[in-house]
Amino acid sequence: MVLSLDRLTKTYANKKAVDNLSIEMRPGVYGLVGGNGAGKTTLMRMISAILEPTSGEVLLDGKNVADMGADYRDMLGYLPQDFGYYPHYTAKDYLHYIAVLKGIPRREAVSKSKHLLDEVGLSDVANKKIRTFSGGMKQRLGIAQAILNDPQILILDEPTAGLDPKERVRFRNLISSFASNRIVLLSTHIVTDVEAIADRVLVMKNGRIVSQGSIRDLLEEVEGHVWEIAVEPSETDKWEAETTVANLRREDNRTILRIISEDPPSDSAVSVPATLEDLYLYHFPTERS
Amino acid sequence: MDLFCVEHKKLWSRGSVKISVLLCIIYIVVFGGILQYQWLTLGSSKDITGSHFDGYEYIRERQEYAKRYEPLLTVDTLSEMVSDYQRAGKNGDDKELKKTDWSVISSWLQTLYPELQRPVIYQLMVGYVDASALTDMYARRQTAIETYMDASGIKGREKDYLLSMNAKVDTPFSYTWTEGWRTVLASLIPDYGMIIAIVIIVSLAPLFSGEWRDGTGTMILSTKDGWRKDAVAKMGVGLAFTTEVFTLVAVPSIIVQMVFLGLSGWDTPIQCIKMLAIAPMNMAQAEIYEYLFLFIGITGFASVVMLISSFFKSDRLAMMGGFAILIAPMFIAGHLPYRAQLTLDLFPLVGNAGDIFRMYTLNVFGKIVWLPYLEIVTPLLFVMICIPISVMRWSRMQKA
Repeated sequence: MVLSLDRLTKTYANKKAVDNLSIEMRPGVYGLVGGNGAGKTTLMRMISAILEPTSGEVLLDGKNVADMGADYRDMLGYLPQDFGYYPHYTAKDYLHYIAVLKGIPRREAVSKSKHLLDEVGLSDVANKKIRTFSGGMKQRLGIAQAILNDPQILILDEPTAGLDPKERVRFRNLISSFASNRIVLLSTHIVTDVEAIADRVLVMKNGRIVSQGSIRDLLEEVEGHVWEIAVEPSETDKWEAETTVANLRREDNRTILRIISEDPPSDSAVSVPATLEDLYLYHFPTERS
Repeated sequence: MDLFCVEHKKLWSRGSVKISVLLCIIYIVVFGGILQYQWLTLGSSKDITGSHFDGYEYIRERQEYAKRYEPLLTVDTLSEMVSDYQRAGKNGDDKELKKTDWSVISSWLQTLYPELQRPVIYQLMVGYVDASALTDMYARRQTAIETYMDASGIKGREKDYLLSMNAKVDTPFSYTWTEGWRTVLASLIPDYGMIIAIVIIVSLAPLFSGEWRDGTGTMILSTKDGWRKDAVAKMGVGLAFTTEVFTLVAVPSIIVQMVFLGLSGWDTPIQCIKMLAIAPMNMAQAEIYEYLFLFIGITGFASVVMLISSFFKSDRLAMMGGFAILIAPMFIAGHLPYRAQLTLDLFPLVGNAGDIFRMYTLNVFGKIVWLPYLEIVTPLLFVMICIPISVMRWSRMQKA
């Protein structure tokens, strides 16, 4: 199974949200990282066949997904960033509704919903109205609806937003166990999630993929550009204003700054091993993960 | 079928739907039905301030009183009605006066014997007209119809068409107490459409647009059956909902009507309500027509509301669109030429079920057709046009 994006472009009023993007995805977990406005959501909506590209195609094994219609959507699971729900519905009723939309037979839908509610830790509140749920619980319900039909292609837009650390671990485990022989594309700002479960990472900026590869490949890209220096606490603001500071911590009376920079920021700077968070800041220096 | 069931359940699970349907039933059945019969319209008059809460007994008294003039309305029975009224008036027998069909009789007299009407007398015509002068009742009706047509500019083929309709009206008319039927056919049922239309707007305007408010639109569109099949299911649910609301309103209304008025007079011609009506219909046929008009009208209206819903991603805008198509024709109609006004009446719920009492016609491809016939056909065309467009609007990739 190969999901190909062929010169995919989406333009809104002269602004290219996705710009001539081409990529091939095979089974595995893909982490899509990028700053706000990078075009991640637009890209995911086009892959989900909801949004019409201005030009270019999304192809599954060479067939245009727009032409495949219901056959493609039958293979698809999608969690939108703005996950919608009916507040007066119970979690069980909601999953039953989505199951019918996904063409799942009634009996299968009942057992599947029960199993998934258990998997995402919502079985105790299956009969409670969604309006009473916390943000994290709603997000878990969103994840459950996305995988209800055992999709071959799973698109998750910011799936870990609103999840506490424990819930994120549960989510990672769920996706890892689910992902074999499927294409999973997840976008997130939380790069540690990508680090934990993604086989490949796509870095998106201004509607284009600016970097892609395995985590190891990408870290090599930023290797030699991550530095630590010890400065006086009073100098911290100056360094933050002038460089991309990934982290700072106090050690004795000094402040240790972790700086992303092509060149050593000072003579005393020490090169340190890079993380995916550093990679993110390397590409998006104005954003902090 | 599963899709239909879940969409149906979703529609009825909304609080606004349940509340609006409940208020509609209460308004129509209680305020527009029970209270009208028992108090506001058919209760005996107290004084100028209102009526007694005695409709049920009062209706029976009047129905019983009217039996003395049954079964046919002739010059003799009309003269007798007038004489009895005037005698009761002279004797100061208010109880007897109240039992008479005075309102209907006066309207007949004004229509058939306008020359006997005295100007500047603030008294019902039935109270002063000379009963012996009431002659040639049905010949006068024929003359009055033709005079009305001439005054209204109805001529040529249109006039022949309407006169041929009128020729099918059997004379002399059968007679029973008419006031109750007049209340039902000329007043109550024609007003139901507006109330049900509001329920339809509140309930169905968010059918498609509401999915964007809830943020569920993108998710539904990413599912296997979330496009065409779901859109068809939604439209089906909208039409089923319309049928359900109609049933919830019509069945109790008819039951209440049966309880208060009974079946008496079902075969009386509608000309007893309006003397110049040309439709050869009795009361039961007229009621069936009016309910049919209501049902088909709200069905057509619902399909237009759902069409509007499919065009918007904001349910507020969809609702405003729904109210606009309900209200705008009222404002527009007054500024249109006569024929254009009649054409506008073909839009669902713009016309009136009470048009069966009127002489409106339209020229359809060279053929003259009585407007009420067209008014129960054209909403079905709206249904047939709106359903595929709404489905197409929903089941496609979003452009932005």
